[in-house]
Amino acid sequence: MKYIRSGITFGLIGGGLTLLFGGWSVAVIGSLMGVGLGLALGGGFERKDPLKIAVTVLPSALVAAVILVALSFYQNNVVQEAIGKRPFAANLALNANLIGFFGSVLFAAFVAAIHGLPQNQERAIKIALLATLVVLFPFIDKLTALRWTAQIIFALIFVILGLGLNIVVGYAGLLDLGYAAFFAIGAYTTGILSSPQHGVFLNFWLVIWIAAAMAAVWGLMLGAPTLPLRGDYLAIVTLGFGEIVPVLFKNLTDVTIREPLTCWILPGLMNLFGAQTTMSCITLVEHEDLTAGDKGISPIGRPSLPVISPNEAMGLALVVKVIVLVLIVGLIGYYLFRAISNKQYKRVVGLAAGLLAVVAFFIPLPHPEKGFMATLMAVIQPGEFKSNDPTTWYFLIIAIILLSIFVIQRLRDSRLGRAWMAIREDELAAAQMGIDPVRTKLAAFAMGATFSGFAGAFYAAYIAGIFPSVFDFSTSIIILCVVILGGIGNINGVIVGGLAIMTADRLFLPALKDFLSSLLTHTILPSISDPVVQLAVKDNANPILYRFLLFGLTLVIMMAVRPEGLIPNAQVRAEMHGEEVAAEKAKA
Amino acid sequence: MLELKDVHTYYGNIHALKGISLTVNDGEIVTLIGSNGAGKSTTLRTIQGLNKPRSGSIVLDGTELHKLPAHQIATMGVAQSPEGRMIFPRMTVLENLEMGAYVRKDRSTFNDDLEHVFKLFPRLKERINQKGGTLSGGEQQMLAMGRALMAKPKILLLDEPSMGLAPLLVELIFDIIQEINKEGTTVLLVEQNALMALSIAHRGYVLQTGEIILSDDAQSLKNNEMVKKSYLGVE
Repeated sequence: MKYIRSGITFGLIGGGLTLLFGGWSVAVIGSLMGVGLGLALGGGFERKDPLKIAVTVLPSALVAAVILVALSFYQNNVVQEAIGKRPFAANLALNANLIGFFGSVLFAAFVAAIHGLPQNQERAIKIALLATLVVLFPFIDKLTALRWTAQIIFALIFVILGLGLNIVVGYAGLLDLGYAAFFAIGAYTTGILSSPQHGVFLNFWLVIWIAAAMAAVWGLMLGAPTLPLRGDYLAIVTLGFGEIVPVLFKNLTDVTIREPLTCWILPGLMNLFGAQTTMSCITLVEHEDLTAGDKGISPIGRPSLPVISPNEAMGLALVVKVIVLVLIVGLIGYYLFRAISNKQYKRVVGLAAGLLAVVAFFIPLPHPEKGFMATLMAVIQPGEFKSNDPTTWYFLIIAIILLSIFVIQRLRDSRLGRAWMAIREDELAAAQMGIDPVRTKLAAFAMGATFSGFAGAFYAAYIAGIFPSVFDFSTSIIILCVVILGGIGNINGVIVGGLAIMTADRLFLPALKDFLSSLLTHTILPSISDPVVQLAVKDNANPILYRFLLFGLTLVIMMAVRPEGLIPNAQVRAEMHGEEVAAEKAKA
Repeated sequence: MLELKDVHTYYGNIHALKGISLTVNDGEIVTLIGSNGAGKSTTLRTIQGLNKPRSGSIVLDGTELHKLPAHQIATMGVAQSPEGRMIFPRMTVLENLEMGAYVRKDRSTFNDDLEHVFKLFPRLKERINQKGGTLSGGEQQMLAMGRALMAKPKILLLDEPSMGLAPLLVELIFDIIQEINKEGTTVLLVEQNALMALSIAHRGYVLQTGEIILSDDAQSLKNNEMVKKSYLGVE
């Protein structure tokens, strides 16, 4: 019975989303819902006999699938009309619903069943499943015409920001309320270094490192004088910094830098002694519009991969590309060889996949005019970052996230990571252990800022334009909420938190708004006779207006119900629910 | 080995140490005894650099400790098992011990030292993956001492190792201090339990309101009338 209830809950959530998105979404949402249901139910079973688990959860999965498909049909046949859109053709709708139905049932049973396998196998299958989902997502999105990828990319940008802030807040225990400032510094560095604003067009792959370095330097510069402060005081200073930086970028529209010695000091001295001055004043920069104020900088250069096309002319460019390719392939190949000789098969699989991906991205195979290869190439479009196709951007940010996770994990387990945690626990005791508190905290600030520099560079290139209003206080708070909501100090938690908050903000709310406004114009408003009421309803039925209200409510509820976050760090969980955890262990 | 000369330490305007001078020779156990607020812990905190002396000098084997910040003093071979233990509550026993070895550059002997600490404190080995904050008071004391030993210090500063412990455990801890000393570590021991402290120490100093009023070898201090009356509770 317990399982059936979960089935109904998941079915209603999935079906509700289908009501909003319509179309092919039932297939995608159904499969995702199945995975979610499988995860939710599977954990409660003993680790034996996967088949039995699958059979046990099957009724619940069927209930969820039936609710989903019923709501989906209702959407297509009733709601579509009510919001003034034409329903899908019956055979198309049938296909989508069939995929959704079987997708949800099969995924639920499968994912639940793998919980019956030994732990390492369960983990391996889950990772493989996740990797497949991540790789296939943009293509499924394209096939089903849902257009979610572009919004998911925003969520992933916030995942990187959350990961970076997690170093500062989660590991080192320093509350930073102005983190968006470093995001702004990364973005503006990119904007200034590759846009027509100053006629400088550096390569994106270079700029992204400069942006990260700039953010890190500013992190050090802010940190150096303020880090001896503790707790609340540091938070206030970072808050101030976060307010200053966007205003600064907004106002750097008329920059004049004069060399002080020749312009003021020497003429001043000469005036003092009554001499007439005829000195020429050395002006370094005069009336330079650095950031273009509220207008923002745009367009910003896009990255491109050094793709080797089949009919490329011989020349320096080709030589450089080949050298780069050989270096990358050689490096991966070297590690692959080492992994094979050390018999680390998991690593072999990962490296081989990476090698294939690199080769596939750099060397597009000759396009035959028609056929499978041409279709595949048209879908993948290796190496091109276009404004109207988010697929390559998606893989770029996935790559940046994977790199970030790798680096952050290594940092966490390093001497420095231990020092951060010691500082967080007890600064005095840490100093007694020989840890330099100021340097350790500075390192946390700089490392955190580095990742937001990456995020900023990607953001600027992806949007192809930056505006000071993006980086205000609310952005800092949203990033902080990503960390807290997801689970402070936990990498997986921050990823889930970032995805949850930003998909709600970028996908769910706009969809809800469209849905409500079409529903109003086509069905509800015509039936209201009083024009005043009509106007009032029309103006206020916009969920995006209530964005921060909803956001705040979620936070309040989360803090009351689950203060340790969605996927908590084991230490934080022990602290907040110590007795319950102990009781659980005693039971087990 | 360690020499304090005319050290004055203040908490704001409160004159806590009024010219402390003392020496600890290589291989000794030296104890500081005195009542609450006499400045015993402040002396240790000053040696460690957690409080800065306003005047006077602290020299360890030729290095002027009073000019260094706390974290550098730790790298000079000074380790403390502090008052109130100050273990890292959310780290496991093993992680706490690893933090103790943070200052060391040699990785090779880490496992031997860990085994050594576990031999001295077998209880810690049983609790190896438990969070520091969930240990009992006695176990936390063992952990604090073990953590200090992991730094392989030249001189070990022990602040009230008997505080809040059951009498049986106190004896055990003092046995272990003697053992540590026999293995070659110099110990500066601060204790309220003067009788116990004087029975294992070589020499002792008596502190009263920030000043040293007596210093002698431990046996003589034990027989000193004033010490007997004030600190040992013998009429």
